[in-house]
Amino acid sequence: MLELKDVHTYYGNIHALKGISLKVNDGEIVTLIGSNGAGKSTTLRTIQGLNKPRSGSIVLDGVELHKLPAHEIATLGVAQSPEGRMIFPRMTVMENLEMGAYVRKDLTSFKDDIEHVFSLFPRLKERITQKGGTLSGGEQQMLAMGRALMAKPKILLLDEPSMGLAPLLVELIFDIIKKLNEEGTTILLVEQNALMALSIAHRGYVLQTGEIILSDSAKNLKNDEMVQKSYLGVE
Amino acid sequence: MKNIRSGITFGIIGGMLTFLFGGWSVAIIGSLMGVGLGMGISGKLERKEPLKIILAVLPTALVAAVILVLLSLYQNNFVQHAIGKRPAADKIVLYGNLIGFFGTILFTTLLAALHGLPEKQEQKWRMVLLTLLVIAFPFVDKLTALRWTAQIIFALIFVILGLGLNIVVGYAGLLDLGYAAFFAIGAYTTGILSSPQHGIFMNFWLVIWIAAAMAAIWGFMLGAPTLPLRGDYLAIVTLGFGEIVPVLFKNLIDVTIKEPFTCWILPGLLKLFGAQTTMACITLMEHEDLTAGEKGISPIGRPYLPFIGEFKSSDPIPWYFLIIAIIILSVFIIRRLRDSRLGRSWMAIREDELAAAQMGIDPVKTKLAAFAMGATFSGFAGAFYAAYIAGIFPSVFDFSASIIILCVVILGGIGNINGVIVGGLVIMTADRLFLPALKDFLASLLTHTVLPSISDPVVQLAVKDNANPILYRFLLFGLTLVIMMAVRPEGLIPNAQVRAELHPDETPAIEVETPTSKKAKKG
Ligand SMILES: Nc1ncnc2c1ncn2[C@@H]1O[C@H](COP(=O)(O)OP(=O)(O)OP(=O)(O)O)[C@@H](O)[C@H]1O
Ligand SMILES: [Mg+2]
Repeated sequence: MLELKDVHTYYGNIHALKGISLKVNDGEIVTLIGSNGAGKSTTLRTIQGLNKPRSGSIVLDGVELHKLPAHEIATLGVAQSPEGRMIFPRMTVMENLEMGAYVRKDLTSFKDDIEHVFSLFPRLKERITQKGGTLSGGEQQMLAMGRALMAKPKILLLDEPSMGLAPLLVELIFDIIKKLNEEGTTILLVEQNALMALSIAHRGYVLQTGEIILSDSAKNLKNDEMVQKSYLGVE
Repeated sequence: MKNIRSGITFGIIGGMLTFLFGGWSVAIIGSLMGVGLGMGISGKLERKEPLKIILAVLPTALVAAVILVLLSLYQNNFVQHAIGKRPAADKIVLYGNLIGFFGTILFTTLLAALHGLPEKQEQKWRMVLLTLLVIAFPFVDKLTALRWTAQIIFALIFVILGLGLNIVVGYAGLLDLGYAAFFAIGAYTTGILSSPQHGIFMNFWLVIWIAAAMAAIWGFMLGAPTLPLRGDYLAIVTLGFGEIVPVLFKNLIDVTIKEPFTCWILPGLLKLFGAQTTMACITLMEHEDLTAGEKGISPIGRPYLPFIGEFKSSDPIPWYFLIIAIIILSVFIIRRLRDSRLGRSWMAIREDELAAAQMGIDPVKTKLAAFAMGATFSGFAGAFYAAYIAGIFPSVFDFSASIIILCVVILGGIGNINGVIVGGLVIMTADRLFLPALKDFLASLLTHTVLPSISDPVVQLAVKDNANPILYRFLLFGLTLVIMMAVRPEGLIPNAQVRAELHPDETPAIEVETPTSKKAKKG
């Protein structure tokens, strides 16, 4: 479904992605793990067209994403809950969710989708007319994810969705991701919490300073000695 | 108690205004003051039965009316003498003050009483009442020979300009410091297409649309190079455009346009092949004076309507209703735009351009649409302006015009249609009515008090010349803005979003209503 081939992305002359190749198949949860600054967010931003790769290709269902501007990539069914959340601060929770659905041509199920988001995050429903900018960090995280869901994407890019959430909520978020996947959404998940990510993902890639150093099924990665040492904190 | 204080403030301000205008003005000032006071205090009242509200606000209305009439009588009996003018005729004084007195009470209580109705009803009746006032105003003005209508029309032109700029600045969040350029483009299009300058006399009703279209096209073209820019950089580039356009119009007095193909390209190619032919070169325009430079274009064609005939400069009433019609049309269109998909994307771009792109919003199209739509309304304003004063001069459209329009938007309440309307009316009536009247008043006052006692003629002249508030209009203007930004930065009638941001403690964020949240509640 989504395939990156030898993608190189730069920030000025900082070489952030040094030839990333990865694949996400239909219906999968794929996770990217790696330490701070490894290039995980940059990978997601490059897929979404917010950064343009200097070379390499990104193909989604036969369409070459790397040639398209960000807003067109969004209309092709790529939605992201970005790092830093990027909530519209002066819009209400409701308006933020509506913006999420902006790409959709078919809005017949709009009300059901809103209700679906509210059933996942009841907290958002309580705050429906509150400004996005005045939500707490965790609430904003939920809103960012809810907004991405409103786009009914083919592939959902999640950049550290558990960041800033209380431990109980972290579990809830992972349950939700799993449930969404069971309902048919393909997910590319970036997480600091590698153990949790690997326990729900099908496959995973390990990223280090802009390069993929390992790729395997989630189960094998979890048992990999190097991964355990570096990312799972197992001594 | 707070209401009584508002009543006293209104009464004193209204009464002082009668000092400047005298005559019948007390009648109109009283009525308008009542409307303002009624709407102002009704917001603070609880919704209860209209009769109870009337009883509650009656003392306030009475206080305002009494102060107004006392000051007005004082002006007629003493101030007029002091400034060396004869008091008005007894009949005018009697009826003017009676109308002023009861007008204040009637309108204050009426508008407050409307607050007793459910919100929807209140707004409907308010609209009805305001419409009646808007319709009645020019006729009352004519009857009372105050001659305000002609000046109010200028204020209304700036209302349209403010509404247009509000799309760019308020909705899309693009700071445009050169907006008067589009006003100029609208006006010059009208001037060129319906004046003896080129012997073209197109019908006004056609020209106004062409002017709007031209302004839109140029909004689009001037918007394009600013697309990659944000914030300060964008402002500087628009500032540049604002400077270039009037200078351009000033200098388009000797224009020669040749068709490039026959004049350069073809002869050049022939020369390459060694042919030495001279070609007949097609010249589209030779030494043409497009804009008449500093002299300006004048006269300019005027609108014509059956039954009314050609609009004349001596009778402002048809012009008044024309500009009101343009405003109503503009407000209607702008409301629809604001609530449309495009309006949503403007606001998303304003909030966060990258996030908007992630939502599937094309930033390029959205921004260009804002520039083009915003410019369209100044095209209307420009066409009307050119026809109304029957002449256009490049100096009208300089930087200060852009800044005044921006102030209309900021003072009224950025992002809020009603706010911009009030902002335009307040700023321009102050500029067009209040300051000139104050100038006359001060001049007469000085001639009859201080001036005779000054023996040195040089000093005398200096005092006389400098006691002219119009000289200080930009100082006063700037001062107002500074005070406004310190006291009420959200503008006179703020956008709910902006207010919530500036005063998080006053307005509980949860209760802020926006068009969509209303829809959401209904659904
Ligand atoms: N806007 C930018 N300008 C310059 N360098 C950048 C920019 N954004 C990221 N980088 C650099 O690119 C590299 C990859 O950053 P990225 O944000 O992709 O890391 P990450 O894997 O998401 O890290 P984290 O886990 O901390 O979020 C880092 O070295 C970072 O400093
Ligand atoms: Mg990151």
